[in-house]
Amino acid sequence: MWKIIMSMAVGLFLSTSALALDGNQLLVQIDRNLNPESFESYRKIVNTEPDGRKKEYTYYTVKKGKDKIAGLFLAPASEKGRTTLRLGENMWLYIPNVGKPVRITSLQSVVGGVFNNSDILALDYAEEYTVEKAEEAGNEYLLHLKAKTKAVAYDKLNMWVDKSKKIPTKIECMTEASMLIKTIYFKDIKDFGGGLIRPAVIETDSPLYKGYKSVMIFAKIKKRDFKDEIFTLTFMPKMESIR
Amino acid sequence: MPDSGFLMPDSKESMTGKRILFIVFSFIVFSISSVSARAGEYDFDPAETEKKPYSLGGYLEFRPVLNGLDRGAAFNKLKFYKRDESNPLPEYNFGLQLEGSYEKGISKLFARFNTNLVNSYLGWSDSSSLYEGYLSLKPSSSLDIYTGKKTLKWGKGYAWNPVAFFDRPKNPDDPELNLEGFVVVGADYIRSFEGPLKTFSVTPVILPAYQDINDDFGTKDRINFGGKIYLLYYDTDIDFLFLSGGSKSPRYGLDFSRNLGTNLEIHGELAWIQGNKKTVVDSSGSSRVMEEDVGVFLLGLRYLSERETTVIAEYYHNGGGYTKQEMKDYYSLIDSGYTQYLQTGNDALLQRASNLTAYAKPSLMRDYLYLRISQKEPFNILYFTPALTGIVNLQDKSFSISPEVVYTGFTNWELRLKGTYLSGDRWSEYGEKPYDYRIELRVRYYF
Repeated sequence: MWKIIMSMAVGLFLSTSALALDGNQLLVQIDRNLNPESFESYRKIVNTEPDGRKKEYTYYTVKKGKDKIAGLFLAPASEKGRTTLRLGENMWLYIPNVGKPVRITSLQSVVGGVFNNSDILALDYAEEYTVEKAEEAGNEYLLHLKAKTKAVAYDKLNMWVDKSKKIPTKIECMTEASMLIKTIYFKDIKDFGGGLIRPAVIETDSPLYKGYKSVMIFAKIKKRDFKDEIFTLTFMPKMESIR
Repeated sequence: MPDSGFLMPDSKESMTGKRILFIVFSFIVFSISSVSARAGEYDFDPAETEKKPYSLGGYLEFRPVLNGLDRGAAFNKLKFYKRDESNPLPEYNFGLQLEGSYEKGISKLFARFNTNLVNSYLGWSDSSSLYEGYLSLKPSSSLDIYTGKKTLKWGKGYAWNPVAFFDRPKNPDDPELNLEGFVVVGADYIRSFEGPLKTFSVTPVILPAYQDINDDFGTKDRINFGGKIYLLYYDTDIDFLFLSGGSKSPRYGLDFSRNLGTNLEIHGELAWIQGNKKTVVDSSGSSRVMEEDVGVFLLGLRYLSERETTVIAEYYHNGGGYTKQEMKDYYSLIDSGYTQYLQTGNDALLQRASNLTAYAKPSLMRDYLYLRISQKEPFNILYFTPALTGIVNLQDKSFSISPEVVYTGFTNWELRLKGTYLSGDRWSEYGEKPYDYRIELRVRYYF
């Protein structure tokens, strides 16, 4: 009898470990289904106010490897030429009028609205989070993610993942005390070419910004390799040259 | 204090300036109406992202200002001793900044042109200058060689930059304003690495100063050399900088910036100037040049609270700045000159005081504290940012305090309403400024 109980306990432990491991592997797969590891993309960020008024930004992004990502605002005219750079947890903003890069933090927002800097300059989920628990929820998986360090913008994520496509459909972003900061919705699956089929629209709303909505619409995502020197402060004013 | 040489009476040039501004304004009004017709769509046409070899943009600005005069202040006497102006004194500023670029292969041409039209108690005047205009050659992503007029903007400080050896000094009242550059030949060479040293870059700079080129940089007929080495080392930005060549005293600098968390950044700058020259004047008007080695440094932080309140705080020490006594001597010279003018009509002493331009620069004394608190989008009003900025002269305890609100909710428009109140005892920096208060509206349209 004792042996049976021990076997069941060991079996339960092993299956839990295997599930946790699967969760982390699934997260890596989700990252690759959303973006190649190194790529360039064009997206529009639209902030909508409760009265329906909108403000739009066109943003060019380049990413290399696990922790290098940079962006350039192409529109509107008031933001044109602004560039952002993220190297791991370091983030900078370059404003042409100011003329030099200044350090910014992940919780700030260079565009206002519901998206903050860590949403806009997002690294791979597997780079910042570990899967604490993975469970099945009908046609979806529900992954419970925990930030690897205190420097990550959201301490916890609840991620719902389409089982067949292995791409997220919804993410809840929460504080350490499980307070909901925002919800992100992935919509409009589109073929971007090169085998990349992923959501073209990411919407977000937040209980902290009642009635406001922010949307990212992707027009192009293309695998492309870049030199490391592009992801430096000195290169920030020259981002336009690599388009 | 505005440089009186900057202002010109009505002239053909000012009429041309007015015409240019009228044409650009008409163009912009037309542009706005066409943009409004397209607004409100979610579509994203990939054609919008296609790169063109050229670009043209800029902004148009209207900036009315109301100045509350402080009749008893030294600089008020110096500025208005021949005039009896109304109080408060209005001023209307119109500005146009145009910038364009053309890119072909590894080369890029860039130009930024600034023109201002002012209607003040002196009538209409205008000024135009090329802020930047340079050719850049980029044979690889690691190397960029450039020549022409350029602002380099060295340093990590927000309100002051002691290590900005090749730039004109910032005005801490409006530190984000564009500045005119100098003609330089320079290069950026960048290398990236794995490990604690992530980035290394070197920036050598040559700046010639002659009669027709960079004549206001310093002593003429000199070729100045300088440079900067930048490291991103253990997640800290570090720069080592220098300037030599003779137009200015040799100087060496160091700066750093680092994030201590997701919401806290610290930065600092240190400059060592060998043989710094300072012109001092006594109350009789006799001046002499003092020369000594001085240190100038700045320490600052930027903090973001959970309620999205941003705090920027900086302490600035200028070892080459004026002491309280030196400033008192200068203000006494103005007072003596003003009394002499009232009694005899002779303004020689006031003219002498006016010509000592070093005394009219911002942050000319030794110790300052800068504090700016801004609240992003309070009450969930998107694109609305109120802020409060204070600058305290720690030597004489005088200060300026500036509340402001900025709204950027209309695409390509920026509206800023700013008030400034100055306070200080007699013989203090802010107590002797020509104004007690200043209210300014700035409307900018970017195109």
